[in-house]
Amino acid sequence: MTAPLPVEHGRQSPRAAAQKRPRVGVVKFASCDGCQLTLLDLEDELLAVAEKVDIVEFAEATSRRSGGPFDVLFVEGSISAPEQVDEIIKLRAVSKMLVTIGACATAGGIQAIRNWFDHEEIRHAVYADPRYVESLATSKPVADYVAVDAELRGCPISPAQLKEFLTALVTGRRPQLLDEAVCLECKRRNVVCVAVARGIPCLGPVTRTGCGAICPAYGRGCYGCFGPRESANTTSLAAWFADGRNATEVSRLFSGFTAWSEPFKKIIDANGGPPRLAAPSETPDA
Amino acid sequence: MHDLDLAAGGSGDLAIDVAMMTRVEGEGSLRLRVRNGVVEEARLEIFEAPRYFEQLVIGRTPDEVIDIVARICGICPIAYQMTAVHAFEHGLGIEVDPQVRALRRLMYCGEWIESHALHVYLLHLPDFLGYASALELAKDHRSAVEAGLALKKAGNQLVELIGGRAIHPNDGLDIAATDWLTEFQESQVSWSHALQSRDRTGRPYLLGPSSRVILAGDQLHPLAAEALAGTGLIEEIRTNPYRSILARAIELVDATAEAIEIIDAYEPPARAATPWTPGPGSAAWATEAPRGLIFHAYELDRNGLIKSARIVPPTSQNQAGIEADLASFAPQVLDLPMDQATHRIEQLVRSYDPCISCATHFLNLSVEELS
Amino acid sequence: MVTASARFLPRADLDRLFTALTADGRRVVGPTVVDGSIVHDELASFAELPKGWTAETAPGAYRLQPTGRDRLFDYNVGATSWKRFTHPSIVPLTRGRRDGNQVVVEAVEIDPPKLAFVGVRACEIAALRIQDRAMRAGPLGDADHIARGDAALVVAVECAVAASTCFCTSMGTGPEIDGGADIILSELDEGFVVRTGTDAGADVVDRLGLGPAESLQSDRAARQVGAVRAAIGDPVPAEGLATRLRAALDHPRWAEVADRCLACANCTLVCPTCFCTSVAVASDLDGVEGTTDRTWDSCFSQGFGRVAGDANFRPKVKDRYRQWLTHKFSTWWDQFGSTGCVGCGRCIAWCPVGIDVREELNAIAPIGAPSGPIPWPLSPIEGRAPAPLATVEPAAHVTATVRSVSFETVDTATLELVLDDPALLGSRPGQFVMVELPGFAIPPISISRIRPDGLNLTIRSVGPATAALVNLATGAEVSLRGPLGRGWPIEAAYGRDVVIVAGGIGLAPIRPLIDAILAERPKFGAIRLYLGARTPRDRLFVAEMNALAGRTDLEIEEIVDRAGPEWQGKVGIVTQLFDHAPWDGTRATAFMCGPERMMTATANTLEHRGVTDENCWLTLERNMACGVGTCGHCQLGPFFVCRDGPVFSLAELGSAFGLEGL
Repeated sequence: MTAPLPVEHGRQSPRAAAQKRPRVGVVKFASCDGCQLTLLDLEDELLAVAEKVDIVEFAEATSRRSGGPFDVLFVEGSISAPEQVDEIIKLRAVSKMLVTIGACATAGGIQAIRNWFDHEEIRHAVYADPRYVESLATSKPVADYVAVDAELRGCPISPAQLKEFLTALVTGRRPQLLDEAVCLECKRRNVVCVAVARGIPCLGPVTRTGCGAICPAYGRGCYGCFGPRESANTTSLAAWFADGRNATEVSRLFSGFTAWSEPFKKIIDANGGPPRLAAPSETPDA
Repeated sequence: MHDLDLAAGGSGDLAIDVAMMTRVEGEGSLRLRVRNGVVEEARLEIFEAPRYFEQLVIGRTPDEVIDIVARICGICPIAYQMTAVHAFEHGLGIEVDPQVRALRRLMYCGEWIESHALHVYLLHLPDFLGYASALELAKDHRSAVEAGLALKKAGNQLVELIGGRAIHPNDGLDIAATDWLTEFQESQVSWSHALQSRDRTGRPYLLGPSSRVILAGDQLHPLAAEALAGTGLIEEIRTNPYRSILARAIELVDATAEAIEIIDAYEPPARAATPWTPGPGSAAWATEAPRGLIFHAYELDRNGLIKSARIVPPTSQNQAGIEADLASFAPQVLDLPMDQATHRIEQLVRSYDPCISCATHFLNLSVEELS
Repeated sequence: MVTASARFLPRADLDRLFTALTADGRRVVGPTVVDGSIVHDELASFAELPKGWTAETAPGAYRLQPTGRDRLFDYNVGATSWKRFTHPSIVPLTRGRRDGNQVVVEAVEIDPPKLAFVGVRACEIAALRIQDRAMRAGPLGDADHIARGDAALVVAVECAVAASTCFCTSMGTGPEIDGGADIILSELDEGFVVRTGTDAGADVVDRLGLGPAESLQSDRAARQVGAVRAAIGDPVPAEGLATRLRAALDHPRWAEVADRCLACANCTLVCPTCFCTSVAVASDLDGVEGTTDRTWDSCFSQGFGRVAGDANFRPKVKDRYRQWLTHKFSTWWDQFGSTGCVGCGRCIAWCPVGIDVREELNAIAPIGAPSGPIPWPLSPIEGRAPAPLATVEPAAHVTATVRSVSFETVDTATLELVLDDPALLGSRPGQFVMVELPGFAIPPISISRIRPDGLNLTIRSVGPATAALVNLATGAEVSLRGPLGRGWPIEAAYGRDVVIVAGGIGLAPIRPLIDAILAERPKFGAIRLYLGARTPRDRLFVAEMNALAGRTDLEIEEIVDRAGPEWQGKVGIVTQLFDHAPWDGTRATAFMCGPERMMTATANTLEHRGVTDENCWLTLERNMACGVGTCGHCQLGPFFVCRDGPVFSLAELGSAFGLEGL
């Protein structure tokens, strides 16, 4: 159980007890919109949630706009452009509770792979004229810039976890967001370990649970989209992977949607960075 | 910053700035300038931060790419996955079982249903009824919104059943036939009916539901064709962008009908996955995404790793058309009060269901052309 | 119990056994191949058994291999253990409703499926028995587990092959099967030698009308399992292992294995005896309907050792691994009178990085002299020897009504609860209750006063659940489960002086002790109370304590860690109040409660003052989730704090008290 919601301890005024509808905002930075869409994907609960909270800012869903203040602000996306830095600082100042949602906001996202690359080079490679493109050399998690009160992990976040979080928010209890390995979910679901039974490399042991062990249940290894769990011993797992794999292949396994999280980054760095064509073992053909 | 001396109100001048488009996917703004009845500027500006996907996939394996490109868009990840999957299979000469193909198609139907229901009920419908959002619409018309959510949920459930989750699902190549079978029986519900073959490549026109319904109407499922005829608005759909919501609704019928046909015809695949060997080659394919044609092209090196990538989402192709429409439509709102004019213009853009997250870098290119 | 006369079931007639097993509506669970592994699942017929398959295992690897013969049970153990059926990963516990002031919590009715377990191995029979014992080791146990186990019919199969990860021989659990099963099969090429172990098994077998097994067949079966024993050898010398291991709590190897250990919990989840669980709480959006489920958990999860306020008693992986290994092979003996390991080898094969428990045991606790002091003797504490009980009671949920809420400090309130449950009204000082508001986590709360018509609970708001409790209104209801744990042994202080030391919220469980002592004042010698608090504002029961200060038949002194000028009293730590006091500790019985650091310091000072460990009693805080000793959270060395404590004497705890990471 992590991410306790802020609780007012001690005697609460009757007004606090009456629970005014919290003002909720949803904003995004560099991302695919999938995590905020997850809110709209709570088809069975959406209308009930909208009655319990006051959604004052959620550009994807409503033309109602607000610059704050927010009781709870859900932030999607990584910080990857100069104006986003100013914006998140501004938003933090008007938010009682800031909740990052998804791999981009919590770990920098897949676009954080560029943090290892030459920014100018990729700007020019993608944009014919990069003059009009403002972007930072790095894509980083929101927590690198402002304090974050709670996070929902995943690429995308889990509808069940979002529902749990919202329910906890409106009923004033602690959300059950476990910070343990995906392995526990596999075992609870009676999913046979793909790593042990089939030799498929799996990041489940070092990745935070919450997805419902989708990938192993479908016969593939976990690719770590919920990011590292507490005590993620990526060094030991990478050493195990290194048996029969070269450095690029080991790095490849960690170079996914939460690559920039410290326990994964450490392994990628130790294995020569994310996979690239320049790697000696993978020289491009003539 | 803005030319505030210009205003609507019958003067023949108009200045509309929508700093942040709402009820569209991604972050974009709108800028329209009309002086003396002449459109000087009609721009859909994109300030969504770039993510450089075409560079991120360099050096990756095809199966990694299939996972990575899904993250371009949270609304239509299947479109990206399927286009990439087809491109690689085509480029590397991989044949998959027809039953696997059918399941993928079913998953794609699920995405169509989800994406279109999202747009029709949650994003666009409030425009026609004068609400800021579907959540507010629901206060007065709860059952209509609930019907939309139910349809959307059905779409999501199809994606989830086959792909594991509704957004960024797992690779369709790895469907576990047994999982499918066990969960499948429960999911049969009595929605309606079909979807024409989306694997064909498209033509150079404004992409998306209106174009498809009009130009490829003969490929609609009979139930969808019947629904279309029943509207009596075929001509309207052809000429009036504000009627695209109808085309999407027709495609909702179409995708649902096809989904049901696939479900009825379901047989477990002989093998859930087709073995393949990485290797060099060129891989390109296009599919019809909910918003229109999507095109991927990859070059693979001798180790089967990505050497170069080009990804063309529908909204980037539509963008020029949207701006042209803005320009041609602008004179019609000159006489309206400012807030109404803005609303009409925003609604026009929304009618294309633009997906800005998808389109980011291409839209910047067209901004440059306009500047 | 096992019949001496064996019968023979020809291979071609095996389906008749299936028919006989299912004749009375029983469903059959047995091994079958799923996703590249042999798992236990419900079978539609014996055609689904893993015919012609074996499993090759190694540290971190499990691979199915064809055997080229028609045998059905040519493997040892599958990926999953039978606990999936006796101790499922998710079991609904309660369904609650909180509508306005009204609270109702009801236990979910237990309705165990009637299953036949087919293919249970010797080690697994031992595991079923060991886990069953753990779930029955108290007056209140895990009723769901017991019901499921009791409803199952066990059809065992003696092993005909040995896997490289097997070590049942070392643990004394196999490979031969001498009991614990209803029916015992030994597979030969031509069929099965059948023995029965119970009347229920005999009933089934009798229906088959089998002829006797030839003595040659029985001999072959015996030789077959004998060969398995020889193949396994004795990889872990078990003689004295429990003692050797507890003498090695400081071994450097714990840190080394932690470098490799992923703390992913796989070993515990595949283990057929590991029983630890957590309580998962959920509610609807209105906060009206609340549910609790019992879910598999593991001592390798960080949250497992976490207590109120997010403190953690076992934060390091090194300590989590030590907890698991010492529990399995050492403290299990204290708790349940047996080994906790049956040698099935699953933890070796299913460790994603191939940590081999045999290797670790032989490195940490090799044969030879113990490498360190033995922290507690190897025997169940007297009076707490866990006698397996024929039946256990699920704890009842009792609704209580809040008569008043009075804030003692800014974040601590006393709830005066009214109830009429005789068990709760008969609570002893020092006992605690689990307090449930549907939808909220269920904290263990010490009873702070036992009244004729109810209980007082003094609760500090440290999280959402406790915040909700202290903010309850008069007339609101809560659900209680208890009384739980062992209270203060007041009788132990009869005729002796009494020293009471309380720090902060620790005064709450101490107060009913004070009440009880004062009610029998003449039975005690001098009574001395020493109270500590962080600041003057954190003092509890201020008026009452002031009133006590006016009495002449006891001494009371207070001290605070820090204070402003308005505080006229003492400032410092609580031990300062008595480290030079003019009394004789050898005549005193001491009771204390407070933060663990304060209690450690107090224990040291009291020892110095002559109070013996036998006469020094304290109450411990741990992560108590079930309250009845079945969830495993609150283990401290050989103890379940909830059931064996929370009150202990220092003599009982030995060096388990204050040992970091235990």
